[in-house]
Amino acid sequence: MAEGESSVAEQEPSVAEPRTIDHYLHTDRFPHIWCPGCGLGTVTAAFLRAALELGLEKDRTVVVAGIGCSSRAVGYLDFGTVHSIHGRALAFATGIKMAHPEFTVIVLTGDGDGAAIGGNHLIHACRRNLDITTILFNNNTYGMTGGQASPQTGMGGYATTAPFGFDEPSFDLCRLAEAAGATYVARGTSYGVRQLQKLIRDGITHPGFSFIEAVTQCPTEYGKRNPPKGPVQMLENLKEKAISRKKAEGMTPEELEGRIVTGLLHRDESVPELTASYARMLERIRKSADE
Amino acid sequence: MSEAPAMTDGLLSSRPYVEVRFGGSGGQGVILMGVILAVAGTRDRRHVVQTQSYGPEARGGYSRSDVVLANAPIDYPQIQGLDLLVALSAEAARKYAGSLRRDGFFIFDSDEITSPPPMDANSYGIPFTRLAVETTGRTQTTNILALGAVAGLTGVVSVASLEKAVLSMVPKGTEEMNLNALRRGLALLPEEWKRPSI
Amino acid sequence: MELWYTHLMRETIDQDSLLVQGNRACALGALDAGVRFFAGYPITPSSEIMEVMARELPAVGGVFMQMEDEIASICACIGASLTGEISMTATSGPGFSLMQEAIGYAIMAEAPTVIVNVMRMGPSTGRPTTPSQGDVMQARWGTHGDHPAIVLAASNVADMYRLTIAAVRFAQRFRMPVIVLADEIVGHMRESFSPEIAGRYRLTSGDFDFTETYIHPEMVREVHPPHELGTLIHPHVTGLIHDETGFPTNDPKKSEQFLRELHDKVVHHRGELCLYDVKNVGKGRVAVVAYGSCARSARAALKLAEQEGIPVEVLHLYTLFPLPVEIIQELARRVEFILIPELNLGQYAREVRRLAENWTTVVSMGRIDGNLITPRDIVDRLAELVGKYESA
Ligand SMILES: Cc1ncc(C[n+]2csc(CCOP(=O)(O)OP(=O)(O)O)c2C)c(N)n1
Ligand code: SF4
Repeated sequence: MAEGESSVAEQEPSVAEPRTIDHYLHTDRFPHIWCPGCGLGTVTAAFLRAALELGLEKDRTVVVAGIGCSSRAVGYLDFGTVHSIHGRALAFATGIKMAHPEFTVIVLTGDGDGAAIGGNHLIHACRRNLDITTILFNNNTYGMTGGQASPQTGMGGYATTAPFGFDEPSFDLCRLAEAAGATYVARGTSYGVRQLQKLIRDGITHPGFSFIEAVTQCPTEYGKRNPPKGPVQMLENLKEKAISRKKAEGMTPEELEGRIVTGLLHRDESVPELTASYARMLERIRKSADE
Repeated sequence: MSEAPAMTDGLLSSRPYVEVRFGGSGGQGVILMGVILAVAGTRDRRHVVQTQSYGPEARGGYSRSDVVLANAPIDYPQIQGLDLLVALSAEAARKYAGSLRRDGFFIFDSDEITSPPPMDANSYGIPFTRLAVETTGRTQTTNILALGAVAGLTGVVSVASLEKAVLSMVPKGTEEMNLNALRRGLALLPEEWKRPSI
Repeated sequence: MELWYTHLMRETIDQDSLLVQGNRACALGALDAGVRFFAGYPITPSSEIMEVMARELPAVGGVFMQMEDEIASICACIGASLTGEISMTATSGPGFSLMQEAIGYAIMAEAPTVIVNVMRMGPSTGRPTTPSQGDVMQARWGTHGDHPAIVLAASNVADMYRLTIAAVRFAQRFRMPVIVLADEIVGHMRESFSPEIAGRYRLTSGDFDFTETYIHPEMVREVHPPHELGTLIHPHVTGLIHDETGFPTNDPKKSEQFLRELHDKVVHHRGELCLYDVKNVGKGRVAVVAYGSCARSARAALKLAEQEGIPVEVLHLYTLFPLPVEIIQELARRVEFILIPELNLGQYAREVRRLAENWTTVVSMGRIDGNLITPRDIVDRLAELVGKYESA
């Protein structure tokens, strides 16, 4: 920390009331743009509660987003925030993290933003194992642009660009991330907010690339065209479909069809984190120059 | 700026603007010849531009390296007419001979080029490959031997600068061998290798 | 020799004599200007810039990254820039096309960064190892929307070094991306680099100096204060139209004001941004306006034309955008016609014609076969035009 700057903790009175997530919100920017019943706020709140638990400092935390309803979250967050361009949040975040390894860097992205247009950046970010935490809001559609199909719409799903039913399979995003090299992979839902908060918190403390898929509801665009209709029904559906990893372990693929496997799915601490390896390389070069 | 080293007596050393091309096939070290000449020219306090074939042109078996040396800053960077063409392959001789000026120099490897194109320029046919093998036992030193001959016959750069340039550019451990090749080239006598002009 | 900083000086081959490749000189200029973050993706004929950075940046504690594509490269550079780092990327046509959206973001978010485009023949893959100046208009208008642009063009190895430094300084001072255009010839050639070259190829401009003292950001009208992530300001940065708080706005008045300020900060400093050199000023009947490799042909043609009795004035432009309006209009008042040799079909000639047609005739001379325009070509065309206008 540069001289003259002080941490947030120092600025606040020490016997403060227990903080709420408002601490990290630009409440003056409200009302937010999200529709009633949308799950994006729920997921964002889970992230903010994880941030509170960890006591993330506003000036040392940078939250980067792409473009989409989900990515709009950064417009309300009181951290250093970058609302970048569609699909490229991870590339921006890579520059930020490599330039300043001491920052906590979080990426918020959607299923279109992160898995379609930004898919290439996603797999490479996983491979590099930079200490960035990515939260992918999966609402199975392009909400912002009006309900077009996303890679996560799923076989038989309806979208404005799939009026007769989508005929492409989806990614299993968590398996994709794991295969690409992410060292922390987890999935939660906007129904299971406690679990989601914990998964995000552990992802942030994990020293390496963390990928958390947050399955959530878009009643306005996805829900309008796909059963069940209505936010409450969609949430109940999430509750019914979600199944913990432990339980899923004993089940056959047929039994797992249509279920959402949640919890910590993969963790590997043996892979070197990129900023750390880079620092070691600089050190090696410096030493050999001194000799 | 310190004094420029004295140049060898020779015809190209007195020209204020000299255009040189090395041509051959890939693997003959033609590009390196151009770069070494450029470094030597820079050491002579001349203004220098070096360009070369890249990409498909360079991979298709041809290799070309051009050097312009001048007493004043060089504006147009490419060859407009050659003062010196050094050809290590028949293909290069055929392709580039037309660009030689009448008062230019044409120096070629007579092992590779058995029927050189007829021309007015001063022509020297020298069995570079054979001489290199005789001198160092290695065909890889052909380009450096040829560079020595070029400097000796034309004075395009000073011997002192060329030696330093060679030493700084050849792979470590081969300096001695390359210097031998260079000196062998420098020692060649013009009378012995000059071809009658046509 | 104050222009020669540490990284360049390390290249000396004999006391103060230097022979440097153009792309290498660009990288050395970047290092000497303080670039400490480079992200790129390999592409001919620019890859050497990246390779030099890969070797040299770690040695000065900087960050080098080979990204998965050019989009990621420029985005990483912008990300680093938002933390206060001086960043740069280098590419050629296909990669430059991929970068366009993010270049607009950097303009909008006022994030300084430098993009070097070593041009090759296009469109598409074109001829990768062949010089061209086909990306001039893309450099100006490649990204969407009304926006300002700062575009420099390098004509020799010395330019690759000093214009890269200039680009870094301009980027920091004007808080926006700056584009350096080179072409395959300039990028790949090795050339001796002496103070004499810098003296002959002068950068005539108000008060440009290469030192760090040049940057005094407060002098340029700011839309909002510089972003610095990771500071107490913890700003919000966005590509949406925003107001002085940095947060988005849909207010028509504020939107227009914001966009005008983005333009004005460049246009109001045109005198400072426009680097150029005139040869034979006021002595030509006719003029040649050129940039990049073609400027070298034009300078060589000047001598040749004089010998043949055609007095020519040569305007060598190092800054293509913002347009050097006053400089071109003054020239237009002095000469019978202006010839513009370019390795494209007249992209810049159209701009010059727009500015000069009230006073003189502007003739485009384009070449798109992959070869340079020779001094002879230029003189022949001048003679032809002089004859034509005389008989008319
Ligand atoms: C290059 C580009 N292409 C298209 C768009 C238009 N666009 C904006 S948001 C979006 C989809 C966002 O979908 P997702 O990431 O799933 O986020 P959601 O809105 O569903 O939260 C698209 C296609 C854009 N902004 N930029
Ligand atoms: S469109 Fe869907 S994702 Fe977007 S805010 Fe509305 S409910 Fe949420």
